Amino acid sequence: MTTLQAGARTQQEKRPIRAQLTGLLLVAPPIALLALLVAWPAVSAISFSLGLIPGNNLLFSQGLHLIRSDHPTFQVYKALWGQPAFRADLALTVGVALWSTLSICVLAYALALYTHFHRHRLATLLRSLYLVPMFVPVVIASYGLLLFFEGRGWLGSLIAQLGAPYRSPIFHQGGVVLGQVWQGIPFGVLLLGAGLEQIAPELLDAARDCGANIWTLLGRVILPLNWTGLLIVATFTFIGGMGSFTIPFLLGPNAPQLLAVEMNNYFGSFDQPQPAVAMAVLTFLIASLAGGLYVFATYRQRKL
Amino acid sequence: MRGSGKRRFAALSLTLLGSAALAAPACGTTRPITLTFYSSGDVNVHHLWASDLLPMYAKICSQVHIRLVFSTHGTADQLTLDRLAAAKQAGKPSGVDLWESGLLLEAGQSGLLRKLSPAAISNLKRVNPEVFASYGGYGVPYRGSSVVLAYNSNHIAHPPRTLSGLERWIQAHPGKFTYNPPNTGGSGDAFVQAVLEQFLQPAESKAFFTGYAPQLEAQWKPGWHELIKLGKDMYQGGFYPQGNVGVLQALGRGSIWMAPVWSDMSLSYLAQGLLPSSIKLEQLQPPFYGGSAYIGIPKDSAHPQAAEAFLNWLLTPGPQAVVVHQMHGYPGVEWKYVPSSVQRKFAAIAENYGVGFSPKFDADMAQKWSQKVAGSH
Repeated sequence: MTTLQAGARTQQEKRPIRAQLTGLLLVAPPIALLALLVAWPAVSAISFSLGLIPGNNLLFSQGLHLIRSDHPTFQVYKALWGQPAFRADLALTVGVALWSTLSICVLAYALALYTHFHRHRLATLLRSLYLVPMFVPVVIASYGLLLFFEGRGWLGSLIAQLGAPYRSPIFHQGGVVLGQVWQGIPFGVLLLGAGLEQIAPELLDAARDCGANIWTLLGRVILPLNWTGLLIVATFTFIGGMGSFTIPFLLGPNAPQLLAVEMNNYFGSFDQPQPAVAMAVLTFLIASLAGGLYVFATYRQRKL
Repeated sequence: MRGSGKRRFAALSLTLLGSAALAAPACGTTRPITLTFYSSGDVNVHHLWASDLLPMYAKICSQVHIRLVFSTHGTADQLTLDRLAAAKQAGKPSGVDLWESGLLLEAGQSGLLRKLSPAAISNLKRVNPEVFASYGGYGVPYRGSSVVLAYNSNHIAHPPRTLSGLERWIQAHPGKFTYNPPNTGGSGDAFVQAVLEQFLQPAESKAFFTGYAPQLEAQWKPGWHELIKLGKDMYQGGFYPQGNVGVLQALGRGSIWMAPVWSDMSLSYLAQGLLPSSIKLEQLQPPFYGGSAYIGIPKDSAHPQAAEAFLNWLLTPGPQAVVVHQMHGYPGVEWKYVPSSVQRKFAAIAENYGVGFSPKFDADMAQKWSQKVAGSH
């Protein structure tokens, strides 16, 4: 009897270990893949941008204007920062990311609120319309925006017919923000809308009964309850804007350019992989700051 | 069925006649072999090989089977270079016998390619020596293309013939000329280089085409001033469309009247009606630069003689005529070696083209342009 019990006990103890092992084995492939395809290249990129040039990587070691060093140095970053053109690129990139984040948050929130609280035909139409950008590939959409907003495009011709002056946003910062907003709206509205669904209608009714107007309702009830959703949208839009390539490549100015386009220029056309990699590291740092802010905020909210 | 039977008979009769000595130099082998050919480019290049040139060669050298591995837009070129380097490091064959790429000079300097010479490939004697030398002798230029000046003959009766004439024209017709940023395409690149080139010290100018010495770039300074000055007279007061195609489209829309363009692209646009027939082409004196597509032979190829024989054949009149007509390209050999009927057809542009800066100078030029000229207003 006792031996039987003991045997049963050890079996019970073993099972969690086996289960743990199975679990570990199951997550091992994606983690190994992540380490191999993301973590390792990231580490080698960072060390390359610090002046440590690997001999076995032809792509890195044959670049032009390499800064070589035996120990890590910030020379590459210093040299980049010394170029007014780079500072202009950085300012434009952060500017575009911030402007598009702000525009998307405001527009997507307005759309989400409108379609959530109204059930008439216009709202139903809007509900399907705001999803359209999601189904149009970004290259096609950018080209469409180009044809529509360009100086000699549809809008320009229409305004010219009316005799009014028209200054096209295309090939300027505004054009890139426009493209980013077009691309970001569906994700924003869907996420914020999903958050609004979670708010119990009773809460809103109760507030209304107490005499709250729409702004009080928004500021005191809806926003505090939907704060995480807004933060997610803002973070992801900002990070997306920092790394955006296709839209600024097609709609952006000749100079300055967004960092992703500039990285591509440096890596390919200018044959200077080192500054390109340094720009990538910087972009990643800025994006991870935004990511960190998001993690911090959601963590705090969960604790509350 | 009958065709293939005939071909087999032809091959058989050649061997039966004991003409191995005759067949060997022409095809580089008497036994059946397979050459693996890594090529890259746009779809028209793929078409050129798969539908025209390789079937042509199969009729001549039936014992040589050429396996085409194509990388559209050259996206796998870097991988092929890595593959050759890795094979050399491991001491194993790479499996590549022929390689068409823009990376031949780099690969050759890293000791991955055979040095080619007219001793083994006799038709190389017909190639412009400067064009051959610009890839360090590691590749056979089999087709080319040159940047030329396109103009709208509805508005322009007498286009400028020289660069200084062109610069005067631009200033006299603000907004009617533009070019693409040098890093987005060769046509704009060639224009920028032409402007810089006129100020180079004659004694050292040769270094810009064959070598690399960043300190010489100080000689570009007056050229940058010139380009910045021209900036306000460009289309829309200084807008540079993306890529060769962007410029051709602006020309086709009538937004601009004159621009540097690639000969092959604009000729095929004209043939397809994508450019109106009022657009004419001409070459400046001295000419804009051109470029060639080169094919090299990896050092570890198991069949170097057969590969060399194939490259030699590419420079003969038959395949060269295909290049000129199908690709609207310049021949790889000098114009005097193509039939006079072809020369007449391309009379306005049938000249040897200029040579581009070496790749490293070119990369620096593109970067400096984007900082100095594009960012100047």
